[in-house]
Amino acid sequence: MIIKNKAYITDTALICCSGENEEQLFHNICIQNSFIKKDSNYFNNIPAAIAKISSNKSFFDNLLLKCEEILLHSNLKTFEDTLLIVGSSVGGIAITEDIYLKNGDYKKVDPNYHNIQTIQTILEKKFKFLDGVSFSTACTSSANALGYAHEVITKGIYKNVLVLGVDQLSQTTVGGFLSLGVLSSEPCKPFDTNRDGMNVSEAIACLLVQTEPKDNSIEICGVGYSSDAYHMTHPHPDGLGAKSAMEKAILQAEITPKNIDYINAHGTGTGANDSAEAKAIENLFGNIPYVTSTKSITGHTLGAAGALEAIICKQIINNQTIPTSTNLNDPENKNINLSTQNIPKEINYVVSNSFAFGGNNCSLVFGKIK
Amino acid sequence: MRINLEILDAAFIYGKDEIVELQTKELVPKMVTRRRLTRAAKIAIYLANAVNFKVGRIVYGSSFGEIPATASILKSIKNNENISPTDFQNSVYNTAASYLSMLYGNQNEIMTISSGDNTAQNLLKMGAIKALDGDEIFLIATETLNIPNIEEVNSCIDYLECGVTLKVKVTKMSPNTAINTDNNVIKIPNSLQELFFLAQQFDNKKKCIIEIKI
Repeated sequence: MIIKNKAYITDTALICCSGENEEQLFHNICIQNSFIKKDSNYFNNIPAAIAKISSNKSFFDNLLLKCEEILLHSNLKTFEDTLLIVGSSVGGIAITEDIYLKNGDYKKVDPNYHNIQTIQTILEKKFKFLDGVSFSTACTSSANALGYAHEVITKGIYKNVLVLGVDQLSQTTVGGFLSLGVLSSEPCKPFDTNRDGMNVSEAIACLLVQTEPKDNSIEICGVGYSSDAYHMTHPHPDGLGAKSAMEKAILQAEITPKNIDYINAHGTGTGANDSAEAKAIENLFGNIPYVTSTKSITGHTLGAAGALEAIICKQIINNQTIPTSTNLNDPENKNINLSTQNIPKEINYVVSNSFAFGGNNCSLVFGKIK
Repeated sequence: MRINLEILDAAFIYGKDEIVELQTKELVPKMVTRRRLTRAAKIAIYLANAVNFKVGRIVYGSSFGEIPATASILKSIKNNENISPTDFQNSVYNTAASYLSMLYGNQNEIMTISSGDNTAQNLLKMGAIKALDGDEIFLIATETLNIPNIEEVNSCIDYLECGVTLKVKVTKMSPNTAINTDNNVIKIPNSLQELFFLAQQFDNKKKCIIEIKI
């Protein structure tokens, strides 16, 4: 592939349980301030630890506000010359749930406010975009959206891309993960021997990706995709798909595994994910790069996770600080370098992993601008 | 930007309520795998076989995703019942493409997009952009809307199960086929219209070149 332009993350906006901007979120990660709480309201009074946005505004009002925030801080006056790429696993399912559970039928369900396109439909009432497309690959949705932003910019097709990772808590997702037996009733413990599951969460994460950097921008250096072709919900036990995605991302970034200083792991806190991902990291990198999962602070924001964790990576590079792991007392895999404190160090390249149902894998390499 | 695509192969299928013959038993011999497949996955497997596709990059699209699994989950929630784990794992939009990848051991990049009525247009655009890398791209889209009481929200779609696929690659040849869905009399979901038109036009004895405007 001929690289016509480089892709830089120039502006971000976010809201999740742990913060309303990238600085606040990173601060909470570093001081281990988790807002994941036990909640029985989401599914048949069964307690599960979830991470909910605390706001007096509706979820979709926050979405519009966060896009306005991007416009305010960016060099754009409108989004008319910007491609919109949404990543979401559930779209408008919470809207459908409200109507169906209240009325007992579909009569008042609007198909335009049910599917993944819901997010774009809501945004287009307020903003005009050059074009738009939505990815829905479960928990890799917004990582794949960022990957596509990198592709269309490096191929010289667009100059401005707004990537949104958007997923709202719903009974479908909380009850669904409960049915799979992978939800913890406590804040999750990624990579710990005693981990007992994940925390479902919600977030809106917005990233403006452009051809020209500004102060504190980071570069999207490479993207790697793979499919496990193994099982709908279980990763390959040796992490073969995860390793392949990381290898491809590093290859596209034209660096080697030795250049990677830090890995923001998918690290959900489930038995299957963390052991497979740790094996993949061990096989590809040994114990050189530091590794953390920030989901013990943010929860698993599902389709928004790739975008949210890209913003965390931006803070890690800009602050030149590896964040500590939270709730890690006894690492299961002793052969990878899980951080146990905040570590100031030179950080040039980081990897962010996102893995999903269906064995869909996406790894992103971000770099400090030289 | 304009990208010309050659359509190398195409197939489509549709049914009023349910497509009757998808050859699933022959195409998926293992019962343990077959019984977990969604309707969309069965359609995807049928179409992949029709164009002899097994391994390569896939861009899959659906406006509404796995509606039967979603409807079953909603019904369980309404009745205060536990959600079926199979329904939940089969409710994600990338279910059909994932089962297809598992069947043939396809470890390549597999994308799933959902853009409402613009799904087919966006699938063609994304396929064209990805095809710039030089390989053949397998484009596939399905809708499976056959759930109890669908008439409460559907008054314009006659064919509740539909699927269409195109195998494409970039070409320097001039376009000879224009996309025109104005006279399409088959009432399939809007999300598949442009792809259906092209699949209907496809003739394997002639070159079929389209221009995609990005």
